[in-house]
Amino acid sequence: MIYQNKTEVEYPYLTKPVEIYTMPSGHKIVLAHKEGGLVNISTWVKTGSINEDDKINGISHFLEHLMFKGTHKHKAGEFDKTLEGYGAIVNAATWKDYTFYYVTLPKGPDDKYFNEAIELHADMMLDPILPEDELGEPFEFGKQEPKQKRERLVVIEEIRMRKDQPGTRVYNALNNAMYTSHPYKRDVIGTPDIISSVPQSVVMDYYKKFYTPNNMTTIVVGEFDSEKILKKIAKEFDFKGRENCEPLIYNIDVPQNTPKYIELRGHLNTAFMMFGYLGPKAADLKNAVGLDIVNMVLGDGASSRLYQRLIEQAEEKIFNHVGTDFYQFRDGGNFFLDANFEPDKKDRAIELVKKEIQHILDEKVTPEELQKAKKKLKVAYASTSETVSDIADNIGFYMTVLGELEKANEYNKIVEAISAEEVQEIAQRYLDLSKVTIAVMLPE
Amino acid sequence: MERLILDNDIKLICKKTENTPRIALTCFVDIKEKENTPGVYVMLNRLFTQGTKTRTAEQIAYEIEKNALDIYSEMKSDYWKFSLLCLKEDFETAVELLSDMMQNSTLETFNKELEKLRGETIASLDSPTVKARDEFVRNLYQNHQYGHSGILILENIENITKEDVSKAYEDIFKPAQKVFSVVGDIAKEEAKAILEKYFANLQSKEEEPKHVKVELNGRKVVKIPKKDANQAQIYQGWFVPGLKSKDSAAISVLNTILGSSGLSSRLFLELRDKKGLAYTVRSIYTKLRQIGDFRVYIATEPKNIKVSLEGFKIEIDRLKCELVSEKELYDAKNNIIGKVEFLTETNLQKAGTMAAYEIEGLGFDYLSKWLEDIKKVSAQDVMDVANRYLNENYVLTILAPQEAMKEI
Repeated sequence: MIYQNKTEVEYPYLTKPVEIYTMPSGHKIVLAHKEGGLVNISTWVKTGSINEDDKINGISHFLEHLMFKGTHKHKAGEFDKTLEGYGAIVNAATWKDYTFYYVTLPKGPDDKYFNEAIELHADMMLDPILPEDELGEPFEFGKQEPKQKRERLVVIEEIRMRKDQPGTRVYNALNNAMYTSHPYKRDVIGTPDIISSVPQSVVMDYYKKFYTPNNMTTIVVGEFDSEKILKKIAKEFDFKGRENCEPLIYNIDVPQNTPKYIELRGHLNTAFMMFGYLGPKAADLKNAVGLDIVNMVLGDGASSRLYQRLIEQAEEKIFNHVGTDFYQFRDGGNFFLDANFEPDKKDRAIELVKKEIQHILDEKVTPEELQKAKKKLKVAYASTSETVSDIADNIGFYMTVLGELEKANEYNKIVEAISAEEVQEIAQRYLDLSKVTIAVMLPE
Repeated sequence: MERLILDNDIKLICKKTENTPRIALTCFVDIKEKENTPGVYVMLNRLFTQGTKTRTAEQIAYEIEKNALDIYSEMKSDYWKFSLLCLKEDFETAVELLSDMMQNSTLETFNKELEKLRGETIASLDSPTVKARDEFVRNLYQNHQYGHSGILILENIENITKEDVSKAYEDIFKPAQKVFSVVGDIAKEEAKAILEKYFANLQSKEEEPKHVKVELNGRKVVKIPKKDANQAQIYQGWFVPGLKSKDSAAISVLNTILGSSGLSSRLFLELRDKKGLAYTVRSIYTKLRQIGDFRVYIATEPKNIKVSLEGFKIEIDRLKCELVSEKELYDAKNNIIGKVEFLTETNLQKAGTMAAYEIEGLGFDYLSKWLEDIKKVSAQDVMDVANRYLNENYVLTILAPQEAMKEI
């Protein structure tokens, strides 16, 4: 056997259970079968802004860009050009707990494209050069003109882009204020000062520290022979004895006891607002399900309480948009409420939103609301089976953030069983108005 | 894939996809006539979810979400598009609700919905990307219905009346040609029977569209000052022929090579990878029924406006003067062929694609014919369309701080 351990997990609407292999190196390989001509190959790495500090904020994301800049076998651009020439979609994403790289493409004649994609993907993951001339020379942002206009400037443009989006500015201000010490407080993309000046060696050291076998899960979704593909992945992902990384543990922030309020200004015609709360760890499924239900009832969709009461049935027009969301993170999720409203009605807007939050703390959700929320969660999960990319993303999230795919089935059982009383208790535990952070952006 | 005809002569395209979680249905309702006031058709579209003779807006929202249905309508340039996505067990319930929304809308909440439209449009225009794109579309298409952008609708919002919307519902929407498509784990006979039960009274009349001519003479520059913009938003665009043009395949290949293939297009390599000018740079080819447009887009630091425009010019001139290599041509065609699989991966994507081509009169299986056209495109064809369309008649829209646009 080439693997150390194998488990199987049932997954909705797939014809076979998902196979999870742990390799002797610690690398995990996950195979999911979905019939059709498209395959998705992805590798999820357990690192993101969670492993950054003030000096290297943004390095996870910068590295993600630089991973596409060539290996000892393939020079920069070859990977994209070859695979896009097969009709592939090639990209990557960085978030707080993870960074993932993916290729989705047609398998090609006799699986030609599929096999080549595995080879190129593995090569990129294991042997990046991060060439100096692709980064461009370090420079002092705002004081020096860069000598080489390369990838550093591309990321700085991405930062500029985000600064121009009012919603993103409000989110970043809120996120920063919600935490005191946890690395989640930083913006994943970093700052122009850091990206312009971070040396190549620091990025490479970061790669070596975190891109280790036990931090990586490679997922393949599509129609294939498991044995053959397992062998292929194992062969291409030869870590050559690379050492593993012990997971870093961070102090979890405790929610504050008094509300925080931040106000920003911008060249706008409307006002943007977010409420944010610290929530449970992603693996704490019972509390996560409770907040998912609150999210559905309070602010998801046109029949939600917020939309109905503050927009559809509002006596005076204040809100253009209002909704909620619940993000899951390894060390603790976030419950958010976001709104857009008439700028001269700020105080009234905050008051009305607080009233709806208080209402969900004081009274249980109705049986109809609970049933509706459960059905929506069930269908949302079923919808993750529709494309090879959706399946891969869902598996990657569970494997990387929650630690195991079995949690997905556990989650669904909790959804079935949770009661209105439990949902209320969970809402009271996390959404007390004394624990809220509020960020508002108003016209100058 | 199969074309069926309902009892009322409306076409239904069906495809069974086994072992898929949700059934998808789309209904395309053709628009053959331009709206008199910008925003009338958008308002009608919004009001489909806002109450019927037997259901309030709240009841509709509740019924949709109680069953976790996805039911929504979209205002497209040439049609209203209704989409429905649900578990098989809810299909009949969902079709009944959709049928009620389409056929029995009361338009009663007109005033409230108009205010919502105003507020949402103003809010969306606080995004510089949205504002620049909106101005580009308005200035390119001018008085053509394709130019009825958010800003134009806002300018005309006081002129939109309930009577106009009601007239559009009765005279344009109800008699308009319609095409349904259903894709999912459901037998075609069952899908047909359910649609016939709930849409028995639906009308559908084929009519020739009324074409409106629009053209550009020379260069038109539109500057949108935004004092605190961190990036300049730049769109440069030309008219190209519409959906049924024989040049469509060659323009698609050109688009892939220039700026739509992801990380390996020429604009991406030259302006992003080599010059570090942008995070987002691309080309976009929009094919509509009467006409289309081809645009290049970049978001860049305001001081880079000039060099970005020069970069666009260099790459466009290259396409006009140099034949693309056989390898680049081959890769671009393969990229398009591969991407088609993505565009038709889900049941909803399949349903939408088939119905869109059917209502355009191209046939629901047109995609495979179009791919044959793609395979036939030569390097000379790419050069020819570049010279034919990417000429001196274009719209250039720039959103940036005023001082950054002085030299443009």
